[in-house]
Parts: sequence; structure tokens; C-alpha cells
Amino acid sequence: MSVKELIRFNNFSFRYNSRDDKILEDINLSIKSNEITVLAGPTGCGKSTLLRAIVGLIPNMYEGEYTGDVIVDGIKIRDAEIKEIAKRVGFVFQNPENQIFMFSVERDIAFGLENLGLEQEIIKKRISKIMKTLNITHLAKKAPHELSDGQKQRTALAGVLAMEPKILILDEPTSLLDPKTAMEFMELINKLCKEEGMSIIIVEHRLDLVLKYADKLIVLSEGKVISDDTPENVFDYKKDIIPELSVPFSTKLYRELAKNQMKFTKPVTGVEDMIREVMK
Amino acid sequence: MQFIANGFIYRKSNSIIHKLDPRVKLLISIQLFTLALLVSDLYNLLIIFTAITIFSLLGKITQRLLRTMIFATGFSVLILIINYFAGYSLLYSLQIALRFISIVCSTSLFFLVTSPDELEYVLRWFRLPRDLVFAFVTSVRFVPVILMDTLQIMDAQKSRGLELEKGNPITRIKKFVPILVPLIINEVIRSGELAEAMESRGYGISKNPTSLYSLKLVNFDMIVISITMVSFVSVILFGY
Amino acid sequence: MIKFDNVRYNHPDGTNALDNISLDIPEESITAIVGNNGAGKTTLVKHINGLLKPSTGTVSIKNEDTRNSSVAELSRNVGMVFQNANHQLFADTVKNEILFGLNNFGFNEEFIRERYEFVIELFKLRKYEDISPLKLSGGEKKRVCLASVLAWNPEILILDEPTVGQDELQKTVLLKFINQLHSNKKTVIVISHDIEFLWRLQPNIVTMSDGKIIEIGNSESIFKNQELMEQVGIIPPQIIKIFEGLKIKDEIPLSFEESCKVIKNLRN
Repeated sequence: MSVKELIRFNNFSFRYNSRDDKILEDINLSIKSNEITVLAGPTGCGKSTLLRAIVGLIPNMYEGEYTGDVIVDGIKIRDAEIKEIAKRVGFVFQNPENQIFMFSVERDIAFGLENLGLEQEIIKKRISKIMKTLNITHLAKKAPHELSDGQKQRTALAGVLAMEPKILILDEPTSLLDPKTAMEFMELINKLCKEEGMSIIIVEHRLDLVLKYADKLIVLSEGKVISDDTPENVFDYKKDIIPELSVPFSTKLYRELAKNQMKFTKPVTGVEDMIREVMK
Repeated sequence: MQFIANGFIYRKSNSIIHKLDPRVKLLISIQLFTLALLVSDLYNLLIIFTAITIFSLLGKITQRLLRTMIFATGFSVLILIINYFAGYSLLYSLQIALRFISIVCSTSLFFLVTSPDELEYVLRWFRLPRDLVFAFVTSVRFVPVILMDTLQIMDAQKSRGLELEKGNPITRIKKFVPILVPLIINEVIRSGELAEAMESRGYGISKNPTSLYSLKLVNFDMIVISITMVSFVSVILFGY
Repeated sequence: MIKFDNVRYNHPDGTNALDNISLDIPEESITAIVGNNGAGKTTLVKHINGLLKPSTGTVSIKNEDTRNSSVAELSRNVGMVFQNANHQLFADTVKNEILFGLNNFGFNEEFIRERYEFVIELFKLRKYEDISPLKLSGGEKKRVCLASVLAWNPEILILDEPTVGQDELQKTVLLKFINQLHSNKKTVIVISHDIEFLWRLQPNIVTMSDGKIIEIGNSESIFKNQELMEQVGIIPPQIIKIFEGLKIKDEIPLSFEESCKVIKNLRN
């Protein structure tokens, strides 16, 4: 599968009408297909705004001062019709409860497809395919209140994936899940990314759970991009990191040891890396 | 309250009544309702009751319908007494009371066997505006969620020493402020999130949204329609 | 101090939520309750301040059966901070939010003033005193919630998922704060999924699954038990995985500094 650029921010800045200062300033980013990008940063750094700019909620739902461009899969978000954006970008919000509208799982997955005005046969095919991929076929007729947290999360994801987006955005997808369910969810996301060639952006505080799957780590602070690189390079011991960032234990260990003259072949971002490095 | 509500809340089941096309269910309910309004003699009321009983047995909802009946009976005893003392005959008062029960039961019957999902299809079939139908859907969908929020807020405030049961009526009303304010704020936040999620899943982008299923009358529905229509018309023509 | 004796709890609809819980939480201890979603952790702690009363069995605080006291009476000794700050914040100012509990419990004015001053300083909320708590950021809201409960100085403090949505700096502050409470002879109970945080806290751990207590022990023994972790839906902290991977099973270092030393020695 060929890799291509799916999202591009060109000197993008934004200020909400309700605020005096810019929430994002001079953002330049490039995000590719077949990649998982993790977006991190302290509260109020502008993460949510960045995501809204990709899905077109900015400027369609939130008004403000918009400069520069956001280009998603070849279209300029600022001038694009919502329909064109909705086909390309899927957004799974933090709380799955608030994105399941219908009374059964299959009806909810159909929601977006019905909105697109697709034919019944196509809707049915897409639903059964996505339910199989996410392993929720047995839940088809279940009502939202009958689902566990993990199942709600998968239903919300299914509703978005059914629209076959090229870009998938997940806003703190694991914050309400227990660690094991969260891990299983991340495995699934990783599979989707590599098999479907999607570009996936994950906003997450719990870096220890997601870093393993990340091809790229973007750190935002006070409206600016302060790191945009592979996790290894971001956490290289020679570089500073902001104290708000929850660095995984193995990485913290590596940074401390490397600063004290211990030799590593490359920066450590996970447990396996650490074990390999020490065993050598 | 819970007791009464249970007489109107849908539960999943596989009975032949549940499987009927929702429009047929609505038709039956309307027929029974209309009859209850039209007829007045004991003999015809008995026919309505028999019909309600048959449907509730087939729909396996007798137990819950009985709750509605008990609740309605309470009211109708009141109606009976008022009528009786107003100078009507006992028989006439009894008929009025029975009519009330059958009206309530025929409505309850519909809600007990029709899922909110099916109800949505019926509303769409009537070509109501999409926004209106969707507003209906989300309001029903979020009833249990808002109830959970309320309970959690009450727990949080009780844990900070709020005692709802204590004090005179005015101080008691004031005590609901710490519960209502967070509830309203939470639901405002929730509706904002809902709007974002709807927008990003393309709500309203097509003038003619399609539907996963469409309502289709099968042979069995046609048979049921014929039987009930014949019964309905004959009661009206020959019943009284 | 807190004693669960054969407690069973059934939801109003009849489903079982707690099954045969027997548990003793000693005074001046830090206890964490971990387990998968729906294991019954929140249901369990709601028995401590009387929000729920057991269907069978007894819960007692300082040898006093919770059935004999109201939630308000129990809450004077048991402070509970819920996960979602938006479920409790309602007052027009931070000041009134904090005073809410103090006024409800009917303390005398001097005590109220003293405690108010204490928590407003402790949680660095002075500059927000007169603004609406709803205008604050997530981390600040959480601090207001903590302050509003700590205000009446309960002996037992229960925190439900205190680290959710908190960044590293805020977590470190929280950690210090819990340890401080502990040295002030408070009993602290934490419900958390945040295993890395719990490892730094090193509490006694109660593991739950399916309404039952599976095992109780210190952090090291619980987190080293692979089978148990699997059963209760938890992933061990990275420190355990690293040292198990390095085949150092018996003496896993407890702190970050020790870990550095052990690895250095391994390399040499």
C-alpha cells in the first residue's frame, strides 16, 4: 500500500470568537496514511481545537478568526461541504454514551450511512462487515443501556468506521476503560490502521498504553507544536520534555540512565525495548 | 411511580404481537380506543375487554397490562363514585368507569408491544419532519442516561451532608438547587457533545436520508388487519 | 476501622452487585480498590458512607453498624470525592462550593472559618475564591471538589478515579497530597485504574471481579501475580514487566531511583 499525505496544516491559526487570544498559533503539520499519530499535551493546549479543525467542526460549528489552511485528503476544509468531510474523516469522541443515538447497535451504526443517503443493501453490507471486524455481530439488536463500557466504545467506533473514512480520530478512547479492555481496544486500532491503510490520530494522556503503537508523537503546548517526530526521537535523552507529559516508566528510566552515561542503541519507549537494551 | 411506568414501558419479546408491523399495532390500538369511546353498553364493553385480553395473552404482556388495569381501576372507582353521587344510575356509572379502563388499556397495549425503534419508523412513515422525529428519538434514548446522572449527583451531594428529607417545604425546595444546577449543566454539556457527534456523522447532509429497514406488511399482518377491521366494523354496525 | 462482614448487595431490580464481601480496612492505612469496570468497586465504597446499605451482612465504621446512621451522620467521618467533578459543582463561587458541606453539617463559625482558610491555602485556590467553579479547568475543578470535602476534616477519605484526565504534574501533586493525609493519620481509600500511579502510591490493594473480592495484599504481591491481574482486568505496571523480563523476580525495586541502580549494576 502506498503511503500518502492525508492531512496538512499550513500556517494554521485560530481564535474562538469568545476568547481574546489565539488557541492555536502557526501550526504546520503533515500526517500520512498507514500511520498512528499520538497527540499529547496538557489541558488547554489546543488539542480539541486541532481535532475540530480537521473534522470541519471549525469553522462550521465554531466561529472565529481562521488563518492558514487545513487540507484533508486533497480538500480545503475551510471551503469544503460537510458531506465531503464526513466521508473522509471519522471522529470517535471521548464519551461513547453521547454518540450512540439510536435504540439498537445496528441502527446506530446505520445512522451515518442513512444520513449519506446510501441504499439499503449497501447499508446492510457495510454494517455486517464492520460488526464482523469489530467482533460485535452478537450485539446487533442490543439497546445502548444493555452494553458494557467496552462494547459502547466499539459501537461508537463502528458507527464511524461504517462510513469508511480514510482518517480516524480518537479522543482519549481509553480513559473510561479498564486497562485490559483498553489494551484490547488499542490492538484493534493498530490492526485497522495497518490493514485498512487508515491514518489514525489518538489524543491520549495515558502514554504508557498507546506509545507502543505510535508511529509519530505530536506534543502541543500553549497552542504551539513543540514536538513532531517518532516517539524515539521525541524522548531522546538529549531533548527536553514538558513536565505535564505522562512519560512511560521505561522511558523515564532510560532518560535518567542515559543522562548518567549509560549507552543505549536507541531511545526506549516501551518495556520490550528496555529489556532488549539491558540484556545486550 | 415506577409501578405505573412499568405499565407503559416496552420490553423485548418474541411474541406474535411484538412481531407485527408497528403500523398494525397502532391500528389495533386505535380501533380499541375508538370503540371504547363509541360504545357504552356493558355487552359491547365486554367485547372490548375480551379483545384486549386476547391481545395481551398473545403478546405475553398480561402481567404488566394488569398493572395498568389496577392503576386505572383506582381512578375508575373514583369516577364511579362521583357519577353515582351525581345522580346517575349504578349501571351507567359502572359503564363510564369501564370505558375509562378500556381507553387506558388500549393505549398501554400499544406502548407495551412497540419498541421506541418501531415507533420512530411509524413517525417517519407519517412523514413527520426528520428533526422532530430525531428529537423524539434522542429524548427517549437519553431518559435512562439522565436518570443515572441524577442519581449520581444526588449521591455526591448527599455525601456532602445534603439532607433532602429534612426541613419545612420551602427549605426542602431550596435543597434541590444543588441537584438541579449540576444536572442542567451536565445535560447542556451532553447536548453540545451530541451535536458535535451528529454533525461529524453527517446528520442533515442529505435531503433524502435512507433507512436501514423499511416497514413492510407481510401476509400475517394483512390477515390480522382483515380480522380486526371486520370485527371493528361489525361491532360498530351491529353492536348497538 | 471499616469492617465488611459477609456483605451482599442486590440492586433494586434483583441483580447481585456484591457477593459475600468480608473486608477489614485498618485505621491510618491507604487502600486501593482495583478491578475491571462493573466489578462492584463503587458499589462497595458507597456502603462506607451509607449511600447504600447491605442487603444482608453488616458494614460497620468504628464498630457502629451503618444501618443505624444516616448518610449525613456517616459523612461527617467519611468524605467521598466522586469521579466527575461536574456531578457536584453547583455554587456561584468557589468559596460557597467549599462552604456547602461545612454549613450542612452545622459546625460552629470559628471551625468553619479555620477549616476554610486551611483548605483554600492547601489547594492553592485563593485567587479563584470569588469566581464560579464552572469556569475553571478540569484539574482546578478537581481541586475544588477535594477542598470541599476535605473542608470538614473527615477521618476517612474516599477518592473515585482521582487521576482521570489529570496530567503528570497534577498527578504528582495528588500523590503528595494523599501521602500527606496519611501522615496526618487519615484513612484513605482510592478506586483507580491508573496502575502506574498506584505503584508510586504503594497502597494495600483489594482486587475485585464480578462483585467479589479476589485477593488482598500489598502492591508488590498483587501486581506480581500474573494470573490475578488477568482475572481482574488489570495490566501490571511497567516496572514489574521490565524486571520480570530481566529475570529479576524476587527483588523488584520499589522506587524509580532503586530501579536505576539495579539496572546500572546489571549492565556492569
